[in-house]
Amino acid sequence: MKSLLSFHKALVGLLVIYLLIPLIGTFLFSIAGKWDHTILPESYTMKWYIELFQDERFFDAFQRTLFLIVMSVGLSIVIMLPTIFIITVYFSKWERLLQAAAMLPYGIPPIVGAVGLIKLYSNSLIPIAGTPWILIGAYFITILPFMYQGIRNSLRTINAVQLVDAAELLGATKFQAFRTVVFPNIISGILVSTLLSVALLFSEFALANLLVGGRFETLQIFLADKLNSSGHLTSAIVITYYSVILLLTGTVLKLTFKNEKNPAGKKKNRVLSLLRKQSRDKKFALEGENS
Amino acid sequence: MSYVTIDQVTKKYENQVVLNDISITLNKGEFATLLGQSGCGKSTLLRSIAGLEDVDAGRILIDGKDITNLSPRQREVGMVFQSYALFPNMNVFDNIAYGLKMKKVKNIKSKVAKMIEMVDLAGKEESYPHQLSGGQQQRVALARALVIEPKVLLLDEPLSALDAKIRKSLQKELKRIQKELNITTIFVTHDQEEAMTMSDRIFVMNKGNVVQSGSPTEIYTTPVNTFVANFIGNYNVFKMDTFRKLVRSTELKGDEVAFRPEVLKLLPIGEESQDLQENWRLKGIIKDVSMTGNILRYEVESEDFSFHVDDLHHRGAIFDQGTHIQIILPKKECLFL
Repeated sequence: MKSLLSFHKALVGLLVIYLLIPLIGTFLFSIAGKWDHTILPESYTMKWYIELFQDERFFDAFQRTLFLIVMSVGLSIVIMLPTIFIITVYFSKWERLLQAAAMLPYGIPPIVGAVGLIKLYSNSLIPIAGTPWILIGAYFITILPFMYQGIRNSLRTINAVQLVDAAELLGATKFQAFRTVVFPNIISGILVSTLLSVALLFSEFALANLLVGGRFETLQIFLADKLNSSGHLTSAIVITYYSVILLLTGTVLKLTFKNEKNPAGKKKNRVLSLLRKQSRDKKFALEGENS
Repeated sequence: MSYVTIDQVTKKYENQVVLNDISITLNKGEFATLLGQSGCGKSTLLRSIAGLEDVDAGRILIDGKDITNLSPRQREVGMVFQSYALFPNMNVFDNIAYGLKMKKVKNIKSKVAKMIEMVDLAGKEESYPHQLSGGQQQRVALARALVIEPKVLLLDEPLSALDAKIRKSLQKELKRIQKELNITTIFVTHDQEEAMTMSDRIFVMNKGNVVQSGSPTEIYTTPVNTFVANFIGNYNVFKMDTFRKLVRSTELKGDEVAFRPEVLKLLPIGEESQDLQENWRLKGIIKDVSMTGNILRYEVESEDFSFHVDDLHHRGAIFDQGTHIQIILPKKECLFL
């Protein structure tokens, strides 16, 4: 029994190392001065970060990326949450259709999708070709699988249909039932989907490059541009936005942890179960970032 | 004056008839059970009364008011689900208070407290559903349904997910609360024993029809057809022509004969004490014997016919497998259907 446990621990340890090594390597490279034929850098410097943080282009690109992410993820939640809820609860026979639609983005490579979108919108009545708005639309589709799976699974887990039935019989309207009984129970699922989507969109390059390119320089386009000039600088960029994602993830999870704390939450096992859940969510989100 | 009236209710899914022209009336305070196998339409009927399913034809009235087209929240019915459907984000108190809050009732605290006492959950107000046992969760579900003082209480197999011992004690408690509040109750179950212990009246359902209704005793002793006989009492059912051969009688009328396994008596060969005017006597052999605790269940074969015989378990009086015996069948216990 004991040897089996240590075997499991070793396996988890290996996985963690496997996931962390590229990150540590990138971090070291971003603070390395001279690093040619040694295992660890010969000298350390902060000059890449100083150079980066003095570059206005970097902050502009960062802002644009954030704008794109907030818009597309926000739009996705606002549209998909009611859609998935209504379809799962009231039109379950349409669920397969929604499921198929949500899986489509996996089947279309970004390049194909981008070329198709450019063709479709270049002479369209809706003049969004080459603007960030077309990118927001494309991102909405890109994150559809994550949003759909996350929200639907949460609804299934809590057996939302029956909870709504019960609430309605107790005098709640459909909207009240959703707000008081369904939403509080799927918020953590929505959160995980959101974090996954944010992490995914942070590192999206293909669509951004093809659809808007230099006209709306996002972080990844900026990164690709810098790749030609200095590897150290690009490492610094990567580490910076990883830190931002990590900070974001941590804050959001901490906030919901606080929100879920209620009278009985003071009891030890409730807190423990939440902590367990929190660490699981975090791990989930981290995996998404590394992919 | 009937309190609940279900008038010629019909429901179809695509082309399959789930409820076929069902009419039922209940009196105030009655404990009625819809009994049947899964898929017989009993849960659909209950959900139709709750407003969770639409009906294709017919009317449903409660206390003289037509509720057929009202939404669930306007029907003034309470319902308990098989899987409890408690709100996981609320503690016991908030779960029970939910309906009162939605209806903006006054004195929520005292009403909830009274209900918590009634279902014996004092001290658990702050607990969350996942911290409670199945039996406790079901009590919360019951309290939540009752606190809004519904006109009718609907119970959809509320006890079937619980283990036998808790089920028995909750059966009693449910019955006690029902009598105390004198609330008209419709209970759905597939367990005939549960139906008999709980109900004032049983409606046996099969394939979307109510095949028989009556008091537990009526249903048990005089089933109207072989379906009810088989379902409710584990009856022995024979085609009439084979039965005529078995008892060597030609005057019997009807298509089928049914008799309960506990009316048969087994006697050792040679013992003669039974009146042959009132009983049939058959020779047979014990094919199998099993014990369910207080009951011994024999499988007996007589001239290629086999049937069940139930006997109370008296110490030492067990016939072994392969024993030749006499079977005494009282004529008046046979139902000719």
